[in-house]
Amino acid sequence: MAPSKKKHASSQPCIIPGGFTELSLQFSSDSAAQHKLYVKEHKVRAQKSSHRPLDRTLFVLNIPPYCSEGVVKELFSQFGCVQSVELRDHPGSFQDSGPKLSRFFKPVAKQGFRVGYVVFENSSSLKAAKSHPHDVSLVVCTEQRPVKTGVQKWIQQYTESFINPDKLQQIVDSFMEGYDKRKEEEAERQRKEAEQQQEDEEGWVKVTRGSKGTKGRPHSEAANERTLQKEMRKKKRKELLNFYTWQHRNTQKEHIADLRKKFEEDKQRIALLRAQRKFKPY
Amino acid sequence: MLCCCCYCQMIPSESHEEEENEAPVKAKRSKTEDAGGEEVVYHPVKLSRSDLYRPPTAEELNQLKEAESLFHCSLLKMQMEELLKEVALSERRKQQIDSFIQTVTKLLRTVPESPEVEVSDLSWLSSAVKVPFLLVPKTTKGKFHMTPPASVDLIGSYPLGTCTKPRVMVDLAVTIPADVLHPKDVVNQRYPRKRALYLAGLAQYLASSSDIGSMLYSCLHGNRLRPVLLLTPPGKDSSSFIVRVHACPPPGFFKPNRFHPQRNNIRTEWYTGLQTSQSGKISSEPPTPHYNSSVLGDLLPRAHLQFLSAVSSQCSAFADGVALLKVWLRQRELHQGAGCFNGFLASMLIAYLLTSHRISNSMTAYQLLRNTLNFLASTDLTVNGISLAKDPDSTPSLAEFHDAFQVVFVDPSGHLNMCADMTACTYKQLQHEASVSMQFWDNPTVDGFHSLLMTPKPMIRTSDHIFQLCELVKLQSSCKKLNLLSELMDHSGNYVHTALPYILSLLQRGLGQRIHLLTHSLSPDPEWSVESEAPKHKAQPPLSFGVLLMPELAASALERGPPADSPKAAEFRQLWGSRSELRRFQDGAITEAVLWDGESMCQKRLVPRQIITHLLQLHADIPESSVRYVGAMVDDVIKTGSELPSTGEEESLLVVQSYDDLSRKLWRLEGLPLSITAVQGAHPALRYTQVFPPLPLKLDYSFFDREKTSRSLVPKEGKPCPAYITPITVICHMEGSGKWPHDRLAIRHIRTAFHIRLGELLKKHHNYTCRPCPTHLDVWKDGLVFRIHVAYHREPQVLRESVNAEGLLVVRDNEEAQALEMATIHKPLLTSTLHGLQQQHPCFGAVCRLAKRWLGAQLFGDDITEDTADLLVASLFLQPAPFTPPGSPQVGFLRFLHLLSSFDWRNNPLVVNLNNQLAATDYTEIKNDFTATRESLPVLFIATPKDKKQSIWTKRAPSVQMLQRVVMVAAESLKLLENQLMDSNQIQDVRVVMRPPLDAYDVLIHLNPKQVPRGIMAGNVTQSGGALPVINYNPVSLYMAELREAFGDLALFFCDPHGGTVIAVLWKPKAFIPVPFKTSQVSARSVVVTGEEANTVPNVEAILEDFRIMGKGLIKSLEARTEKWSL
Repeated sequence: MAPSKKKHASSQPCIIPGGFTELSLQFSSDSAAQHKLYVKEHKVRAQKSSHRPLDRTLFVLNIPPYCSEGVVKELFSQFGCVQSVELRDHPGSFQDSGPKLSRFFKPVAKQGFRVGYVVFENSSSLKAAKSHPHDVSLVVCTEQRPVKTGVQKWIQQYTESFINPDKLQQIVDSFMEGYDKRKEEEAERQRKEAEQQQEDEEGWVKVTRGSKGTKGRPHSEAANERTLQKEMRKKKRKELLNFYTWQHRNTQKEHIADLRKKFEEDKQRIALLRAQRKFKPY
Repeated sequence: MLCCCCYCQMIPSESHEEEENEAPVKAKRSKTEDAGGEEVVYHPVKLSRSDLYRPPTAEELNQLKEAESLFHCSLLKMQMEELLKEVALSERRKQQIDSFIQTVTKLLRTVPESPEVEVSDLSWLSSAVKVPFLLVPKTTKGKFHMTPPASVDLIGSYPLGTCTKPRVMVDLAVTIPADVLHPKDVVNQRYPRKRALYLAGLAQYLASSSDIGSMLYSCLHGNRLRPVLLLTPPGKDSSSFIVRVHACPPPGFFKPNRFHPQRNNIRTEWYTGLQTSQSGKISSEPPTPHYNSSVLGDLLPRAHLQFLSAVSSQCSAFADGVALLKVWLRQRELHQGAGCFNGFLASMLIAYLLTSHRISNSMTAYQLLRNTLNFLASTDLTVNGISLAKDPDSTPSLAEFHDAFQVVFVDPSGHLNMCADMTACTYKQLQHEASVSMQFWDNPTVDGFHSLLMTPKPMIRTSDHIFQLCELVKLQSSCKKLNLLSELMDHSGNYVHTALPYILSLLQRGLGQRIHLLTHSLSPDPEWSVESEAPKHKAQPPLSFGVLLMPELAASALERGPPADSPKAAEFRQLWGSRSELRRFQDGAITEAVLWDGESMCQKRLVPRQIITHLLQLHADIPESSVRYVGAMVDDVIKTGSELPSTGEEESLLVVQSYDDLSRKLWRLEGLPLSITAVQGAHPALRYTQVFPPLPLKLDYSFFDREKTSRSLVPKEGKPCPAYITPITVICHMEGSGKWPHDRLAIRHIRTAFHIRLGELLKKHHNYTCRPCPTHLDVWKDGLVFRIHVAYHREPQVLRESVNAEGLLVVRDNEEAQALEMATIHKPLLTSTLHGLQQQHPCFGAVCRLAKRWLGAQLFGDDITEDTADLLVASLFLQPAPFTPPGSPQVGFLRFLHLLSSFDWRNNPLVVNLNNQLAATDYTEIKNDFTATRESLPVLFIATPKDKKQSIWTKRAPSVQMLQRVVMVAAESLKLLENQLMDSNQIQDVRVVMRPPLDAYDVLIHLNPKQVPRGIMAGNVTQSGGALPVINYNPVSLYMAELREAFGDLALFFCDPHGGTVIAVLWKPKAFIPVPFKTSQVSARSVVVTGEEANTVPNVEAILEDFRIMGKGLIKSLEARTEKWSL
């Protein structure tokens, strides 16, 4: 740490290999130690997403657990207006999270160090962020913007965990309504597909691949396996055991082989125990 | 027809092929054997096909058949052979012994003669050597002089070949020449004194020789009349063996019928020093059987050796059988001390069985051991003694022996009872051990070898309760009180041995049905240097007594006696003294009865203590202060309640009753869209194993705020943390139906709807305050919080299913589904099973709580989880071999520590046979699966009937390192605790084992005690129906969770969940190695640039700062031990 600090003149941005710029961050103005954020413009080859426009998105590493999306947004708004902030456990592509869930049904997010994608309104803000001098820290908790941690935070969490049963019922109802609607749509679509496969007036049937669930046979891995096993069993039933002398002799041979195997196993176990000196009674 | 022919033709051709295969096989086999010889790591045997199907030779077939038919498996036979190798003496050792014996013999033959003097004149002896004898009374008649011994012979186990390691004892008999003795020396201890003088003379001479290492006096089996001289070789071999020199009279010097058990050989007049009017009349003198047998014992060792060698030459396995029996005895601490069942008796017993044709000469050592144990288990020598005598007419009858001694086993001469010093209790203990051993020997699910011969059974871990008599001097007054003067004379003043049988029978009578077995420690043979006086009788470690309790009756506070008018009433009153009173019972009977104090379970457990101290005080004059009762010393750590001391049984019962009521009410609820199919508890409190079961308490409302909508209490900032109220998990299974959606999110929402509906109904019908959440429903009832989870049995399946890209429905196991199955299937099942176990064994819960308290205090609470700990304890009850199921929390806890520290976790699965569902074949199956896939299985592997292959409870934790540490700390704690419990001089508190060593950790986070919730409580019962209290709010566990999420890959965090005020942090050494900069690995790290390379290391300063920030309000101080790591 120390040598890297000395190398760069103060109030200069600190740049490290990989194109990342180091920003320091401290919890409050009187904190003794700082975390280092590493920022870089967001760059990907394959995917283009409207959520992360390439020229305006800042990729931020190592965001401490007490920085929520709101806090990050305010921290970075000193470089320019921030449009949106996305915090994630690991860097990766944007994922759609299915039907919209209320706060109470969302899976609990992990509260570790996270990476962030900060989308500015102007691309110039990227440069401003990257040229921020590394010895001027970003401060998380200020008087204008207190961040609750520890006991305060837990009490707040506990208080917020209460929910009015009526409201909860409403949430459930509205979700189930949406679910039923989606189900119905799905069923409708399937019905239509099935219809398409019906004979038309002239007696022609249009054969299509059809999507899942349309076929009579259950299309699943388990079902496949079951059929295979059934075949095997059938084959086995046809076989005759202990019918001929050689079969009888074989069973006897198997028995002796079994005994032998057990004997060998025990011998090896003993060798192991002996190696571990397991026979010393005292 | 045609087909048949076809096959007929085929058969010869096939066998022919086989013969051809034979030759190359042999070569291959020998090769594999050579390679296998040096292997240490076990992996499943892979015999090649040709190896397995090779035609067997007759010899091999026999060998295999023998192993199959004689033993459960050949393993046991091999194990016994290996064990015998371990205890047998090596050739080198034998040579050493022989050469040393030669030196000693040569030396002894040159003992100089001394002039004849009076026995009481010790002037010929230099002051450096004392006589190994307690001269009480002092005066004695007779002359004595030193001469070289008439002969020096080896006797005992060494010449017989039954001598075993460790503590190799070689017995050497030195015959005192006939001219030193007088045929009348038998009377009044004259012979024993002369023998002691002779030994002192030998010691004086040997002391000047450089060929002798060290020299000590001792006495044979604690009998002070029979001193022996212990010699060790000089130099570095000094500890390898001991030569025990006995001084004996010439064979046949005394007439054996002088030692008839009803003859007197110590005159009262001489012993008491008082002139009585009847003196001179021998017929009125009390018999002295013990004195007689101690003198007679000296006369016969050569004859015994001859007898035994004759027997052993007939039976080839004799020596091995005796060696096994000796190991068995030693593990049970029966092999030495006063009244022990020593190796000599073991050989004699086997010889008896051989000569009486109960076992045949051709049996193996294994069969000898088995038959001997079987004989011991089924024969009561306290009633039906056995005799090796050939012509019983000329010798005393067995009945006469039974009158004089408690245990009777007569030697080949017919005059000596070899078990003269043994108490009936010791024999009963032996019998009990033998029958227990036979039981688990026959049980194929038990590792017989290990529990029979490899597991030590010290008293502290065997007996449920233990008490010690600390001041043995007090037994002198007991002898007086019990009127035992003539017995005292018989034992030559050894008041400990005199009073012991009487005290034992007194206690046996008093404890009666409450106990299964009463045992006592055998006082060890004292050893003292030749330069000091013989130690006094009181100078031995305290006598310890062990009690095996009958679980059903031991704790009853009432001792109901006979009806007041029956003749037995007087006897009852005599036994109990003033404690006995007339009482009238509900059935109308008026009887004598004793009522002991005891309201709570933990007090009732100590009823035996009240009985023991009362009886000892009343009948034996032993004050309570000198009885040290070690029955429930450890229980203190789980004690709660200020008014009535209690270890939690009563509180747990309240919880269970309240739950039963709730479950009944849930079943009866009407108006639910689907019916309830099962209500199951899934919380330790519902199986009596929660460390601190919920207690009622008063809430101070100024410490709380109110939530706006529901008026529930919420913790207030700046105030101490409210008491922790634990939610008791209840799983409520709903009926399956087509109405359930087939989608994980939808199921979750439907479950929520059920929670809401259940809450409404409970509020409406029973007026319980409820709080529905998406994941659960909290119900506030009787001052307890029940957390009801609605479960749908197909949900885990739904979670496992997914549709892959080709539209194929695949079922893949995942963590989410496993967690759900754990919560809704396995945990409730475990809870109900263990609840059943508690009904069978009343102290199961208490043992669990002690064990978990210890695990918590030693900061292992997260590695050995509650469920794992409960299972481990359950195994102690279900598979107690070689013990019996624990009958008190303390002994259970000690065995728990022993299990943790001594079980071979690496190579063995721990099978917990819940509900006895596993058969012997399952055990082998589990074992085979385990060995085949050891590497991929959890380090601590527990198999249960429902989970034979995976060990679901220990999958996540502990890790190898943690298990190692647990094993180490457990061993250390066990040692410390056992010392503390058995040593009466210990002043330290037993809580010392609950204090973790903190110096191993890197950072200590000290917490503000006010923010750490005290214990685990329930609310006040009267508030039920009012506002919901603060539930499941524990700042410490919240903080721990945050720390683990943020820094889990850099450090380990430890904390005592039962109110510990320190969090210990251990850096992971791997995390501190600099790694190249990667976007996925920069959490809490900073970059160090050296030239072209950018490496990251943990930003320790900032992390420590984060500890402070994240635990704001909870942390008192942070103690970083920077010397442990470099920044």
